[in-house]
Amino acid sequence: MIAVSQEHLQYLKRIARRRHAVSITRLLVLVVFFALWELGAALGWFDAFILSSPSRVLAAIGRLYTDGSLWIHVFTTLYETVMGFLLGTGLGVALAVLLWWLPFVNEVMDPYLVILNALPKIALGPVLIVWLGAGMSSIIVMAVLVSLVVTTVTVLGGFTAAEEEKRLLMRTLGASKAQTFIKVVLPAGVPHMMSALKISVGMSWVGVIVGEYLVSRAGLGYLIVYGGQVFKLDLVMAAVVILSVLAALMYGAVALLERKISP
Amino acid sequence: MGEPLLSVEHIYLNYHTPQGETHALEDLNFTVDKGEFVAVVGPSGCGKTTMLSLIMDLNPPSSGQVRFPLGPCPMGYMLQRDQLLPWRTVEKNALLGLEVQHRLTKESRERALALLQKYGLGDFLNHKPGQLSGGMRQKAALIRTLALSPELLLLDEPFSALDYQTRLSLADEVHTIIKEEGKTALLVTHDIGEAISMADRVLIFSRRPARVKRQVTFAFPKDMSPLDRRADPSFQEYFAEIWKELDR
Ligand SMILES: Nc1ncnc2c1ncn2[C@@H]1O[C@H](COP(=O)(O)OP(=O)(O)OP(=O)(O)O)[C@@H](O)[C@H]1O
Ligand SMILES: [Mg+2]
Repeated sequence: MIAVSQEHLQYLKRIARRRHAVSITRLLVLVVFFALWELGAALGWFDAFILSSPSRVLAAIGRLYTDGSLWIHVFTTLYETVMGFLLGTGLGVALAVLLWWLPFVNEVMDPYLVILNALPKIALGPVLIVWLGAGMSSIIVMAVLVSLVVTTVTVLGGFTAAEEEKRLLMRTLGASKAQTFIKVVLPAGVPHMMSALKISVGMSWVGVIVGEYLVSRAGLGYLIVYGGQVFKLDLVMAAVVILSVLAALMYGAVALLERKISP
Repeated sequence: MGEPLLSVEHIYLNYHTPQGETHALEDLNFTVDKGEFVAVVGPSGCGKTTMLSLIMDLNPPSSGQVRFPLGPCPMGYMLQRDQLLPWRTVEKNALLGLEVQHRLTKESRERALALLQKYGLGDFLNHKPGQLSGGMRQKAALIRTLALSPELLLLDEPFSALDYQTRLSLADEVHTIIKEEGKTALLVTHDIGEAISMADRVLIFSRRPARVKRQVTFAFPKDMSPLDRRADPSFQEYFAEIWKELDR
């Protein structure tokens, strides 16, 4: 290794210190938030019956755990979300490939795609229930619908971002359309695909929770609706907290994948 | 001198867009002999790139024909910018053409690696293009083209994106490479000095639609390097002659 100057060492130390400060402050924000929430409830700043409190949330989670339903709810929602996410992004990417491959179809479909993208897919919820019945498949299809179009639009944008000149290069080398796609268009689209994945993770959660609001007998969305109806707001908050943790974990997994794939 | 390698005969080429029709080439005629180095200069937008893509068969002519009297002629096209794929290493970039044409064998790969080695990229095989200088990138792009063993090289302003210093030395190097590998070359350039220093003959194109307005054959001693040619007294005379013709 090349000798490192004193100045550079100072610089490295400075950025390390800053990174530390950011992490610690982040943690502090969380701690202070929960502390204030708890304190406020204990001192009666607000009605703990309505806003709940960390200790009440913990107790609610504990009750769910002991009566054995915690994992049922968590896994139901998780399963629906992962399925919705995988199907939504898979179909979305496949559709994007198809549209890239067939420019005529792409041009025909363009306005429809724009409308579909703008349409709040959630509006289709009641229709889905009629079509598919009040079950898990409706919920998964809801999640698929919500993530599919946005994936297609984003990924297609990535494909068309591959420079004209790079495709010209492939033609001068005598490449077929499939080769151009695999060697140039697809790799050039990877960053777009990654951002599509990140958007679509969030979208799948939205689709699943809305689906569960409409029809369900289990799941975190079900807990939220049920808790709201019977005024057990501790249960609602508990479900929201669990949901935040799960959503963060899934986003983290995608971010990890991104770091694995892109150089 | 028998038949030429390439013969461009009475080519007309029009572009059609919703805005209208552009006559890019109009009764274009010229030939290139085997082993010859021919440069093309002409006003901006006159149809030089169009002419190269026509020869490469990327653009069909409206009428006229491109013939290869000596038989089918494998060609390599080098674009103005290197167009190396940023996610591939230098080595993988150099092998791209072979891969695409399903010609990647142990021998062809070794040939490409030898070219990289010989022309100064041996220590950078596993680097990404982003880590190379502009001149090295352009050389990597040339080797990607040479790896396919083309007979005729079509070069579209290959040095125009480089700074002056790099241009001069790379022109020298590329000239050496093309001569050593025994290729025929057709070089499009904006730079009159580049044309005189590298080519055996220059075609001066007219304003659009492009025709060959005049051609000048250079009488430099054989094996004179581009840099030496620039120092030769006749260089300035050729320069003035071509400049005057272009300006008219
Ligand atoms: N694909 C195309 N469609 C329509 N017109 C085109 C197309 N390509 C080029 N042209 C037009 O044809 C003419 C010749 O273009 P060309 O690129 O061959 O010129 P050039 O001599 O290479 O120019 P430059 O010196 O700027 O590189 C220009 O007027 C250009 O606008
Ligand atoms: Mg051009």
